[in-house]
Amino acid sequence: MHWDFVSVLSNYDALLAGLVGTLKIFAICLVLGLSFGLAVGLCRYARDGWLYWPATAFVEFFRNTPVLVQILWFFFALPILAPFEISPLAAAALGISLNSAAFSAEIYRGGIQSIDRGQWDGARALGMRYGQAMRRIILPQAIKRMLPALTNRAIEIFKMSTLASAVAYVELLQQGKLIASLNYNPIEAYTTVAVIFFMLLWPMVQLTYFMERRLKRGE
Amino acid sequence: MSYQWDFTPVAANAPLLAEGLANTLKVTAVALCFGLALGLALALMRLSPRRWFALPAGLVIEVFRTTPPLVQLFWFFFALPLIVGIEMTPFLAAAVTFSIQSSAFFAEVFRGGIVSIDRGQWDGALAIGMSRRQALHRIVMPQAVKRMIPAFLERSIELMKTTTLVATIAYADLLYEANDIAQKTFRPLETFTVAALIYFVVIFGFSLLARLWEKRLAVSGEGTVH
Repeated sequence: MHWDFVSVLSNYDALLAGLVGTLKIFAICLVLGLSFGLAVGLCRYARDGWLYWPATAFVEFFRNTPVLVQILWFFFALPILAPFEISPLAAAALGISLNSAAFSAEIYRGGIQSIDRGQWDGARALGMRYGQAMRRIILPQAIKRMLPALTNRAIEIFKMSTLASAVAYVELLQQGKLIASLNYNPIEAYTTVAVIFFMLLWPMVQLTYFMERRLKRGE
Repeated sequence: MSYQWDFTPVAANAPLLAEGLANTLKVTAVALCFGLALGLALALMRLSPRRWFALPAGLVIEVFRTTPPLVQLFWFFFALPLIVGIEMTPFLAAAVTFSIQSSAFFAEVFRGGIVSIDRGQWDGALAIGMSRRQALHRIVMPQAVKRMIPAFLERSIELMKTTTLVATIAYADLLYEANDIAQKTFRPLETFTVAALIYFVVIFGFSLLARLWEKRLAVSGEGTVH
């Protein structure tokens, strides 16, 4: 067995393009997924049925179907209903963002629920409205407790970004595939891709461990 | 919107979808069995005071939790056969990948459950003359497993969703069959919608069962891990 990483590293420009693609879709899905998730989470927390039920249906549907099915649906099925073309990036970002929104909505809801009722009462007693109390009193405390779970979600989003390769979006795994088929070196190409992902994700994983430990000590 | 929905081409291919669903369940079941067994072994190794056990187990857990499952699948399907010189089928690659990948997550559930049991339980068991193995087997694990059940159920559902990745290496699971039918019939909208609904019914069904079971456990007054 003769390992030949030179044939992979000489394609560093292709890997770099893949890395940019991975970071791009990660950033898009992180922002869209976590912000839309907050809106859905607040609706799930609401007592109003018109907010609660649609949000609940959304969460259940997207949590209970595989994200790859969602991506392929947006890529192959949605263009038939919608009057516009859907790029691989748009399809993959839609699937991953909506999936992440459903999962993070439950994190937000759980975090808000974990805050003691007295905090609400206190905010009300000071004359704050619901929105003010939520923004100034409840969310700042809840976010602290949610941070490890939200960072975990971010890691999941990063890992899910590889699924975009199924619709031929240019990201790291897709570029690994390309390099492997051009140079007949799948061992080195896929090992390199795996190592790159490990190096990118390992610090994030350590960060969640650190935050979980600190949270446990703090409470 | 003037699109004419037509589900008859999908209905005509129902046997293919059923076969795909059976294959999805098969991969899930195989990976779940091996994943649980391997996960328990990894957890016990990681908890061992001997570094020769703890370090390799920790490494496997970290690597498989930290890298994307699709990258793992491609590595096992395209790279591993060349290293060890064996024929690799899509099913074998999927079974191996998802067994090890889920075992890394199961290991952390086992470990969390075992660690959560009060030290006094160990001390008591050792004090009445049990060996460490007996204490684990008879005293600690029975209590720990009960606490771990919700996390196990959640992971198993995650595992079933992850198995859709095998469609990318042409294993005939439900998603692969749906893609095939969509291309043959030129009805991607209906086919992928039906496939998504089938997944939803199966996975949501399992989720509801899991919640029911968790509620029962909660009523019987046991704390849970996670």
